[in-house]
Amino acid sequence: MPQFFSNKRLILLLVGVIFLVALISFSLRDRDNASLPEQIIKDVVGFGQSIFSKPTQYITGVFDNVDSLLNTYEENKRLKGRLEEFAKLQADVNDLASENTRLREVVDKQDDLRKYEPIQATVIARNPDQWEEKIILDKGEVHGVEKNMAIMTAQGLIGKVVLTTPFTSTVELLSTQNPNYRVSAMVTGEKEVFGLIEGYDDERKELILKRIDSNIEIKKGQKIMSSGLGGIFPKGILIGEITEVSTDDFGLTNMAYVKPAADFALLDHVMIAKRVMTTVDGTDGENTAIDEDES
Amino acid sequence: MKRFIVPAIAVVLFYLEPVFGLFSPLDINGEYRYLIPRFLIMYLIFISIYYSRNRAMVYALLFGLLYDVFFIDIIGLYSFLYPLICLLASYIVKFIHQNLLVTTIVSLVLVAGLEFALFQFFSFIGLTDISLQAFVSERLIPTMIANSIFLVVLGWAFKYVINARLLQRLNQPN
Repeated sequence: MPQFFSNKRLILLLVGVIFLVALISFSLRDRDNASLPEQIIKDVVGFGQSIFSKPTQYITGVFDNVDSLLNTYEENKRLKGRLEEFAKLQADVNDLASENTRLREVVDKQDDLRKYEPIQATVIARNPDQWEEKIILDKGEVHGVEKNMAIMTAQGLIGKVVLTTPFTSTVELLSTQNPNYRVSAMVTGEKEVFGLIEGYDDERKELILKRIDSNIEIKKGQKIMSSGLGGIFPKGILIGEITEVSTDDFGLTNMAYVKPAADFALLDHVMIAKRVMTTVDGTDGENTAIDEDES
Repeated sequence: MKRFIVPAIAVVLFYLEPVFGLFSPLDINGEYRYLIPRFLIMYLIFISIYYSRNRAMVYALLFGLLYDVFFIDIIGLYSFLYPLICLLASYIVKFIHQNLLVTTIVSLVLVAGLEFALFQFFSFIGLTDISLQAFVSERLIPTMIANSIFLVVLGWAFKYVINARLLQRLNQPN
């Protein structure tokens, strides 16, 4: 094919390939912030995207409502059965909360790892090629969103912010294959046991909790929550439930499979948890505190 | 006004893709099936075949770049693959008879090729470790079914719009 690969075209092709490889390697680097042109494109496209996705969510909302209306009778019966239980639980919670504040006053400690300000956000897009588990939210820096903040739904933790622009933010979900993605977690029970959520088993659809102290026994069915010791996430966001415990590759620590509490499919409204207490660098993410020093 | 209808449809399809992406993965009997909308690239293939190859490649580069920046943060992936697919489409139709059915099949084959190239790329950089078999059953087949439904329903509309624009351009040489 002499006319297809003429000299000029061949050179153009080679230059193109080199440029492409350079661009890909530039963007695969662990970047802390999006560059200015990227931010502008993201904001503009994000604005258009929210115009398209909000009506869709309204329509799916209507279908959901009709669906739940049809189930009302059954659901009502079931809920009535649990109502009494809830009243008792509510009383207990009130009692404990007031006792907690009282004790805090006694020891004069105001800050609390558990405290966070929720920022409500709408999912405007999910990465359509779905190789990376990313969603895009309609809240950004001007609304107070920062990198590495925890994202949750009513059911539990779903991911963390990886990139922010003034009006949008990109969230990487817990079900990612990214090896640098860690969340500091704890097993709740009589004694709190700490570990790190590292990795996701694609076949089992379960998270893997690693580096658990092997001296402390943990059991199937125990709940996993964020520990707040990773530096950025607030304490006590539900992550999931243990389904299996085993030892890790080297036999030094335990690992556990965790069934996530939240559903990663069909996300629409989520909450961004902005921790009230000071955030520091840790296992939840890096390069956040450095930015704060500079500003 | 008619001048802008071809790019306007491309913009609409670009924004519709992630909206359909919100419904995926589908949970069918405990197994996830990923439906990946590829509306825009199929439309661009149609433009490349019926309208103008160069115009299609410019659109492909532009939307590929937007896709890269907005969704996947790896610049250069889609902005390379989209124009490449348009180029391939225009070469393929030189050798075969051109009608709507053939164009539809060519588009679907190219979309499958795109999926496969992306699978190879993401396995290569280590963002995914699913096996080829899992890729075919969880992603490729559901994706191809969804996209062929879309193309069968709307393919004639694409052709109609593009032909209308082409006729208009032939009548008014400016």
